[in-house]
Amino acid sequence: MSASSPKEKEKKKKRTIRPEISAPKIQVAKKPKNELSTGRQFSEEDEVEKRDPLDDLKEHKQACSEIRNSIKSISAMKDAGKPDTGEVEELRTQGTLQFLVLKKLNRLAHIRCKKVRDSTNEAKQKIDQYHLQLQNLLYEVMHLQKEITKCLEFKSKDEEIDLVGVEDFYKEAPPEISRPEVTKNDPHQQTLARLEWELEQRKRLSANFKETQNSKNLISQDIKSKKEYLESLQPKLVSIMQATKPVQESLNMRFDEIQEQHQTAQHLPQPLYVLYMQSSAYKEACDKNMAVSIEGDVEAAKTVESQQDQEQDEDSDSDQEEQEQSKRKSKHRRHTTSSDRLEQKREKLLKSHPLTVVLEIKCKEEGTLHLVFSYLLVLKIVTVTVKLLPGKDVVSGNISGSDLLAPDSILTCLYPGDEGKSTPNPANQFELNRLSMDSFSFYISKVGHPYLWVQWLSGLQFLTASPLTNDQVSSSHMEETIRRLRRRVASRLSLQKQLASLEHGSVPVSSEYMSLFPPKISSRLVSWRRSTYDDFAALPYCKHLIDSCLAKDSDLFFTTCAERGSAKLKVEVVVSPDYPRTPPVMAVVLQWRTDHTNLNDVNIRDMEAEVNIHYGELIKGKSHDQLLTNQIQRMLMCFDLFLETEAGNEAMEGPAEFPKEKICPRMTRGPIRSKPYKYLPQMGIFTQR
Amino acid sequence: MAGTLQFRDHDGAQEAIRKQLHTTIFSQAFSPGGKYLAVGTSFGEIAVFNISASLSRNSNEEDMKPTFLFKATDGPIYCLTTTDKFLISAGTGDVIAWNWVDVLRKTPKVAWSLPIPTNRYGLSNPEVNSLAIESKDGGKRLFAGCGDNNTYIWDLESGSLVQTLAGHTDYVHSVALKSLSDQCVTGSEDGTVRLWDLRTPQEPVAVIEPYSEVTCARSEYGRWIGCVAVDPTDDWLVCGGGPKLSLWHLRTFAVTTVFDTPGACQQYTSFFEDTIISAGSEPYVNHWYINGDRRSRVPCTPTSVCNVTINSEAENNKVLSVVGSSAKVDLCTNFGYKALSLTVC
Repeated sequence: MSASSPKEKEKKKKRTIRPEISAPKIQVAKKPKNELSTGRQFSEEDEVEKRDPLDDLKEHKQACSEIRNSIKSISAMKDAGKPDTGEVEELRTQGTLQFLVLKKLNRLAHIRCKKVRDSTNEAKQKIDQYHLQLQNLLYEVMHLQKEITKCLEFKSKDEEIDLVGVEDFYKEAPPEISRPEVTKNDPHQQTLARLEWELEQRKRLSANFKETQNSKNLISQDIKSKKEYLESLQPKLVSIMQATKPVQESLNMRFDEIQEQHQTAQHLPQPLYVLYMQSSAYKEACDKNMAVSIEGDVEAAKTVESQQDQEQDEDSDSDQEEQEQSKRKSKHRRHTTSSDRLEQKREKLLKSHPLTVVLEIKCKEEGTLHLVFSYLLVLKIVTVTVKLLPGKDVVSGNISGSDLLAPDSILTCLYPGDEGKSTPNPANQFELNRLSMDSFSFYISKVGHPYLWVQWLSGLQFLTASPLTNDQVSSSHMEETIRRLRRRVASRLSLQKQLASLEHGSVPVSSEYMSLFPPKISSRLVSWRRSTYDDFAALPYCKHLIDSCLAKDSDLFFTTCAERGSAKLKVEVVVSPDYPRTPPVMAVVLQWRTDHTNLNDVNIRDMEAEVNIHYGELIKGKSHDQLLTNQIQRMLMCFDLFLETEAGNEAMEGPAEFPKEKICPRMTRGPIRSKPYKYLPQMGIFTQR
Repeated sequence: MAGTLQFRDHDGAQEAIRKQLHTTIFSQAFSPGGKYLAVGTSFGEIAVFNISASLSRNSNEEDMKPTFLFKATDGPIYCLTTTDKFLISAGTGDVIAWNWVDVLRKTPKVAWSLPIPTNRYGLSNPEVNSLAIESKDGGKRLFAGCGDNNTYIWDLESGSLVQTLAGHTDYVHSVALKSLSDQCVTGSEDGTVRLWDLRTPQEPVAVIEPYSEVTCARSEYGRWIGCVAVDPTDDWLVCGGGPKLSLWHLRTFAVTTVFDTPGACQQYTSFFEDTIISAGSEPYVNHWYINGDRRSRVPCTPTSVCNVTINSEAENNKVLSVVGSSAKVDLCTNFGYKALSLTVC
């Protein structure tokens, strides 16, 4: 027994423990099925709440000691050797019962523990929730604060409007707008009212502005109609004047007119006076076909005269003032006014004397050259504006030479290099630079051309810095210049005539030059047009002309094309403004099979020499007028000869493309096999030069 | 008047520029000492340059211009040649000799002149296209290839016309002399090269027709022969023009080498040492090896070269001078490139 008893105990323990361990499982599993067991469960749970854990502890200890006592007494009995089996059995049952109590207590302890854990969890969850809430609230606070600052920073548009002062507002504004009873205490309402008043005022002003403008328009229209009326008076007055002229003439009153002119001449500035005097003297003595007169406002001239003395004193002072002013300005950087002043100064610098001398030169049938000379008071130079009134039978309407008679260019290079684009008085350059008027040419359209010959005619010499007027200078140039002016007009008109016919593809040869050319020239001019310096400069075979200054930017450039059969001759023509004094220069490219130019064919070089060097043969007597057309005609003649004598022409099979129409005893001559470009009219044959 | 001085018409200057642009230098000759170079222009002018000054280290602008220039004839001067005493010029009109001493003193005078015999055309005087001087056995003979298809030979001692070589059917471009035998060669516009023996001047010894030789004929440029030259051994002849430049063996009269110059006709050729120099209607001077390979091709100023001469007289002034369709004379000191240009003005 003794041996088996611990085993049994153990078995019992196991038994008792087992349900204990499996109890929760069974409970959970059976929970939904077994109502009774759940009832017990609940009762136990309730029991937990009712009982005090400390009591349970005591109970536990008590149970433990009872078990211990039972075991002790059993063991004591056993040791005594008289084990009363009944007593032992009772003790054992008692002990075993105490185990039940322990089991119960254990269960309770477990349930209690679980409960405590649950409650802790619950509390934790609550704390989390509160934390979240707190964060939401904090965020809301921040957002609201932002909104508040935004509102605080808001600016209304009306703040920029410059309103009438508060006092003035209450004084001026009508009470229905100002409403002092409301607005005096409420600044918001006050501002609103002030804005309203502002609007009212602005409306009124704009209406006023419109009205004024209307009245201004009305007045200006009125002025215009009055002006028109005054202008219509002019022709009437002129016709009345015209009508009185015969009376004057019949009464022989011309003497007065001249007297009057001479009187007026007294008021001319010195250079123009010299010009007037010399040209009228020249007219009286040598040339009846020109007219000299004075035009302009005599009264204004008188005032200029009286001013001039004073100005000389004032000049130095005003200069100082100007300098000071300009200093001040540069500090303040007021650009608009200073540029205005600069413009005024420039105008003052270019101011001309109110009186002008008008020279009219009649050139036979070709027309009349109308020259107006004016004197620039400050720059001390004489300028001229030109107009050509062409005669009746002058050909016009060619395209390539349309600017030949333009007032701007007709008199350029009357004397070599005199383009009239820069001021001839070296002293002027300083003044021009001071007002940053770098190139005088920009102002020429306003004041006219300051050609050198104009200065000479006015007796002005600019060899030294100060101009000297000298009658001798004027008189020595008068004849030559008038001669050149006439010749220029004649040559320009004839050049224009030549260009017109060249444009139509015909080369006019006047009867006196007929003998220079053979009766038949087979190549024909097909085009003639204007070209430009840049186009010309781009051609490789023209480069030598530019390098040697035979073609300049100021020259006129033409391109012409001649054809015979499949061959083509392109001629670049350079016409100097001084034509025909400087004869035209030409460069050609002959296109037949290949391009022949002076760069690869000596015969082309010779062809160019025929017109560029031997042009003297194309001029008979003093008349240079037909030079250009004669040169072109000779070019065509050389073109024919080139083709007729070119080796390739005969080498081809069948009849030659260019039949030999010209008689030439020698096709080629000399080491470079020159072609017979020279025409001997007496025999009608061609030879080499 | 000061004003008129300031604006003197420069028509004269303009004319000079135009003239310079159209100047062609046909011929040149070095002075007997090799110190001076004379060139003849298309305007009948002879310009003399001091080349020893031009070539010196410290030469300036002025040294590139002629020291002296004078009008010799009305027409162009096609050829110049020199003896130890005279500068001989020819072109249109007579053959004229100028004493070098006079020329260098800048007082040129006609020392003597030889008229070209009257021609059968009667229209214009025939030109002289080529001059050659032969000095043998103490006597001097002048050969002139002329525009009337004839080659005239004068004895310079007596000044008399000794022989006339007639037979070409067009004008004579070039005359070359054989140095060892009494023979000469002429090249003509008619396309033939004729070899003459001066003992039998009535008929040529041989007639070469380069235009009928397939390897060198170029029908598009014509038949004409612009230049002939014979090498110092008398074995070889070189000729060119419309046909390609070609080397002929003078004993067999067969072409041995053809020198190709596409697009260009040769107007001048000569033997120099082991090479052949040729030039023509392109701005280059060609140096060839006898076998037909090109040794070099030297660019030069004139677009068409008329004459190339080497100054062999003076060792320190040894230059190759190129003239042609330009107012400039190119001097090459080492034959490989242009060293400097002299300008006729």
